[in-house]
Amino acid sequence: MAGNYDPSFAKEVFDNVDSGEEIKMCMQCGICAGSCPLRHEMDYPPRQIFTLIRAGRRDEVMNSKAIKLCTSCYRCKVRCPRGIPVIDVMHGLAHYGIKKGIIPRKGTAAFGGEFWKMIYNIGRIDEKTLPLKYNLLEGLVPGIKSTIEMAPMGIQMFLHHRMKLLPERKIKGIKELRKMLDKAKEMGKGGAN
Amino acid sequence: MADVQTTNQSILVVGGGISGITTALEAAEAGYDVVLLEKNPYLGGRVTQLHQYFPKLCPPSCGLEINFKRLKANPRIRFFTMAEVAGISGKEGDYDVKVKISPRYVNEKCTGCGKCAEACTAEVDNPFNYGMDKIKAAYLPHGFAFPMRYVLDPSIVGTDDGKKCKDACQYDAIDLDMKETSFDLKAGAIVWATGWNPYDAAKVEYYGFGENKNVITNVMMERMASMNGPTGGKIVRPSDGKEIKNIAFIQCAGSRDENHLAYCSGICCVASLKQTRYIREQYPDCEVTVFFIDIRALDRLEDFYTMVKEDQKVKFIKSKIATITEDGATGNLVLEGENTNTGEQIKATFDMVVLATGMAPNSIKSVCSADVSCDEYGFIANDPAKAGIYGAGCARRPTDVASSVQDATSSALRAIQSIARR
Ligand SMILES: Cc1cc2nc3c(=O)[nH]c(=O)nc-3n(C[C@H](O)[C@H](O)[C@H](O)COP(=O)(O)OP(=O)(O)OC[C@H]3O[C@@H](n4cnc5c(N)ncnc54)[C@H](O)[C@@H]3O)c2cc1C
Ligand code: SF4
Ligand code: SF4
Ligand code: SF4
Ligand code: SF4
Repeated sequence: MAGNYDPSFAKEVFDNVDSGEEIKMCMQCGICAGSCPLRHEMDYPPRQIFTLIRAGRRDEVMNSKAIKLCTSCYRCKVRCPRGIPVIDVMHGLAHYGIKKGIIPRKGTAAFGGEFWKMIYNIGRIDEKTLPLKYNLLEGLVPGIKSTIEMAPMGIQMFLHHRMKLLPERKIKGIKELRKMLDKAKEMGKGGAN
Repeated sequence: MADVQTTNQSILVVGGGISGITTALEAAEAGYDVVLLEKNPYLGGRVTQLHQYFPKLCPPSCGLEINFKRLKANPRIRFFTMAEVAGISGKEGDYDVKVKISPRYVNEKCTGCGKCAEACTAEVDNPFNYGMDKIKAAYLPHGFAFPMRYVLDPSIVGTDDGKKCKDACQYDAIDLDMKETSFDLKAGAIVWATGWNPYDAAKVEYYGFGENKNVITNVMMERMASMNGPTGGKIVRPSDGKEIKNIAFIQCAGSRDENHLAYCSGICCVASLKQTRYIREQYPDCEVTVFFIDIRALDRLEDFYTMVKEDQKVKFIKSKIATITEDGATGNLVLEGENTNTGEQIKATFDMVVLATGMAPNSIKSVCSADVSCDEYGFIANDPAKAGIYGAGCARRPTDVASSVQDATSSALRAIQSIARR
């Protein structure tokens, strides 16, 4: 860790990353990290990414799995007590990484696309089928393999009633939601698709 | 009601909590006529619902009863319970106010004998205990209620129960024909001391208040610890009445949060420290964990914090808890979040959780359209350009009793100056 401290990194993020400057408002409460459904997969959940940015840890941030994994579920942004668009910053960092050639395109878009489809189909996020679909997108064999690797988490979530065995049902008003989503897509803001 | 003689030399105080009572007493003892209006059937406000209050941890009755005595002794104060403002017009030095009085169905002949409650079969949710238990629909709001006079819930008026109550009363104190009344008064200045409401914990939806049975709020904890509360002073789990072994406090539940109350409510940190003491006194083996962003305990209250920190059974963990999940079989609660000191993901089980919810103002804006400045949350700003109506206590900012009393005293002076300026 020592040695790769870059004092200009925070400013670089504030100036170049979408919503990057909003990080200044962060009070380090941790609810974004605690709410993130992928917190156990991420090397640095959102709050820690922000600390690392402030600490000038360019390599850890730009090479982090976290900014690639973010699935646009919006939990962090909805809950942030400082109104920081956490997800926009996470995406901003990923885009910035892609632009700078640090991150290859693949991973993020696939997971984001699955999220979009799920919201569109049932109106909510099903934490069980999502990782499955995501892993299958990697290709059938490695997909099944990584799904099995994640199984302990799934079983634990199930045991704690965090995840239902049957796929989540559609929410009420799914038609209205779809209309909104279609409209949003039309307006060019259609998530990762 | 028609005998309320007021002039533009009178001061109107709205809200009969510790702040409003203080303003009324200070102004009356300085020689001014005061009318005090209280919406509840009793005076004293939220302080009456506390078990003990810091810094000295006295029971609320001790501070309040002295004030009630002063109030009774002072002919310059007229107070009305179940009274609200329906409208204010005019300007500094010359206000016309419309007052609305809701029917109590019990008149001043009531001796507090309790025969009506004995006869009554209907029960209603007990607002004094935040709905944790029921009371008879003919009731005394609480043990040391002032005035010591019963109330009938409107739901039994016109029913058999209403009649039974009336028949049981030997003092002709029950009047089932009472109607809402109103009267007008004049005032030279108005002090708004309507205090606060606990922020609605159900709005912080990820804590599942209302669904998770063993998740309660800090105001409910005050009632539970209190001898005249729903459990007679025993702190137990609402789901099964079991004693507690491992309890968590979640600070800033709905405060310092742009999605809820954007400000710090100021007292909920010390309130949780105080409640930690209630628990530790009752249960020598109970573990307490306080999840916080930062602990705000300033000045002399910091000593209190230091003292609680020395208790080996009390842990402080820096984290804004993200989720509470109830284990259906045991009623236990699984808390998840990030420990922001270590970066570790927390997953811990407790048998009860207290949400340290904040204080939202009872804003003047929700009552009338009087010309007065409020901040964006509804607290009165005491804008010098708009003299004549002043806020006092928690209607002006969320704070403790000692600061409320100070603020109420200065509001009395402001009100007197408004009259003297004329
Ligand atoms: C969990 C908790 C624990 C606390 N513990 C302590 C403690 O230990 N020590 C301490 O110093 N402080 C404590 N406090 C703070 C304390 O409760 C307040 O400082 C105090 O209640 C302020 O008094 P007040 O008169 O300004 O407001 P209130 O007590 O809210 O009184 C306002 C009064 O106005 C009435 N009213 C409201 N609207 C109207 C209307 N439209 N018309 C007429 N009347 C109206 C209300 O019915 C009420 O009687 C605690 C707060 C909480 C949340
Ligand atoms: S939007 Fe991304 S970072 Fe935020 S909670 Fe969802 S997955 Fe985590
Ligand atoms: S929720 Fe917001 S304020 Fe809290 S740590 Fe995350 S970004 Fe910072
Ligand atoms: S209303 Fe009558 S019966 Fe009821 S407490 Fe008062 S005096 Fe007793
Ligand atoms: S007093 Fe403490 S718990 Fe209450 S809002 Fe402020 S920091 Fe949060």
